[in-house]
Amino acid sequence: MNPQATNRQAKKQQPNSSPPQAKFTLASFVSFIWLLIKHVTKVIWDTTLRGIKFIEDWLLDSKKALYGIAVTRILLGITAFGLLLTNYRTRLYSFGSGSVWNGEVLEPKSDFPQIWLFSPFHSAITNDFVYTVLYLLLMGLSVLVVLGWRTKIVLPVFWVMWVSFIEANDMLGDQGDNMFRIAVLIMFFTDTSARWSFDAKRRMVTPAKKPSETREQVSNLLHNLGIVALIAQVSFVYMSGALYKAGGAPWSEGYAVYNPLQTLRFGTWPVLSDFFTDWGPMVTILSWGSIILQMGFAFMLLSRPTRVIALAGILSFHIGIGVLMGLPWFSLSMIAVDSIFIRDRTWKSMQDRISSLASQSKNSATLKS
Amino acid sequence: MTEKRFKRRKPLVRIAMTLAAVFTAWHIFASFLWIAPYSPLREVVPGNMLSSYMIPMFGQSWSVFAPEPINGDYKFKVRAIIDSAGETVTTEWIDATEVEISMIQYKLFTPRAGIQSSEVSSQVKGAFDKLTDDHKVIAGLNYFKDDWSNRLEEKMKSYGSPKLVDEYIEKEQQALAYATQVAYAMWGEKNVIQVQFQASRQNVIPFAKRHDPEAERPNVKIAETGWRGPIVRDGQNNKNFEKIFIRQYKKVHPSTQ
Repeated sequence: MNPQATNRQAKKQQPNSSPPQAKFTLASFVSFIWLLIKHVTKVIWDTTLRGIKFIEDWLLDSKKALYGIAVTRILLGITAFGLLLTNYRTRLYSFGSGSVWNGEVLEPKSDFPQIWLFSPFHSAITNDFVYTVLYLLLMGLSVLVVLGWRTKIVLPVFWVMWVSFIEANDMLGDQGDNMFRIAVLIMFFTDTSARWSFDAKRRMVTPAKKPSETREQVSNLLHNLGIVALIAQVSFVYMSGALYKAGGAPWSEGYAVYNPLQTLRFGTWPVLSDFFTDWGPMVTILSWGSIILQMGFAFMLLSRPTRVIALAGILSFHIGIGVLMGLPWFSLSMIAVDSIFIRDRTWKSMQDRISSLASQSKNSATLKS
Repeated sequence: MTEKRFKRRKPLVRIAMTLAAVFTAWHIFASFLWIAPYSPLREVVPGNMLSSYMIPMFGQSWSVFAPEPINGDYKFKVRAIIDSAGETVTTEWIDATEVEISMIQYKLFTPRAGIQSSEVSSQVKGAFDKLTDDHKVIAGLNYFKDDWSNRLEEKMKSYGSPKLVDEYIEKEQQALAYATQVAYAMWGEKNVIQVQFQASRQNVIPFAKRHDPEAERPNVKIAETGWRGPIVRDGQNNKNFEKIFIRQYKKVHPSTQ
């Protein structure tokens, strides 16, 4: 056969073979689409089921971030104790009977003093003795929170007293007080003393009767949802901080941190303020850095390398605010809540490393002696 | 596929899980709307459901240092007309902010007492600035004789905007009650006849001019208010104020000891 003949043959065959081919295409197309729909539906259905199962298991089977939330408890306790200690000498001047001039005794500015449960500090303002007793009691409770002693009872009592104390004076409050109140309220649902606490120690020595499966699962559920709510709270706070700032010229023009650092109230270390605002590019890095970090915080948590950057960044951001702007306790309460973003594995390995260092130093000490 | 087979769980647990998850979702959504800047998205929650859920327990506001961070100092000065051995004398101005700020300057752990006078000044200056020019003139006059407080309020209200006047009067009373404490501490409770405060704001040197050796801080803006009678609120313990204020004053002005 010469090639031409083959060609002709093929041409001849074409008109004959095309109708069955078209039939085949239509039928197969319909069935292909049908199969595709079935497949995609199945994939969606399976994925949904797998997602629901994952969420269900995640919520019910174990408690997440137990070390992180324990660190949050410890740091919030230290915040409360530190704030009370720092203000102890001037407590009657700025919170007690020396401060009645601010008008909040007669007409509270906050809603809380008007709620019976939160009224003790407010009603005690004009009585120095009772006020001081309550103040010391609150300090004692904050120590118990740090130690994690009978936390299920101590934490709510501490919280009521704390809110009563801090809300009795609205004028001197800051947003750290709100974060503190909301965080501890959410923490009622979580197991904050399962790690690094007296409660944990006691449970190890005398293990409690194992709770029923249902109780265990419900307790895991509340704990994990509490952690989720706390994560959402912090992420929203940072994100909205960035959104609020984005509209302001000093922020977008990259010199915003200069302004407050030059005031008396928010530049409590004038020499350091001058140091940090002297070189223009540094001012811009600090100003833009805070916005970018706040805006990206939630998303940066999603993968490990960016999470490390986000957490290191936000820690320096808060240390900067705490030291340079004279807001140590505001900063510490924000740092406290950020602790839940460090995974249990990391906290655990930190603990192991520290305890191995401790035992090493003990060994070398015994060897020397 | 075993991985998508659900574990056996009690229906009670699943019901509890669903309810708790739905409630958490609502809480998170409400928090999102509340924490984020105000937006039309809030309209998806009917009525005042959002604020009645969030307030007071979850009350918060995160527009800190935004959109423009503070760029000035609020100061509060006090002077008095006192009875000094039978003679009426007008004292020097005392800078209460200088005294209190020294409690937080170069301190790692800062007591809140250090910001009181700046806060008082910022509140009363803010309310003063909102007044009309007519009101401001009245505020600058002296009111200290019988029933001065009511007469001042009436006079101001005769120029309209009663809401602004109410706000201002409230802040002025607070500022006066604070000024009275400063005056009592400095010159003695028995001697003080009248007090006057000066709430002011002065901006910092603008960023662009920070290296300019000629640069000076912008002018001080003062809320001009007249002489007033002293105000002491029920339950106020003057001694507790005096003790701390004077101790701090002596630290700032060691020569006066």
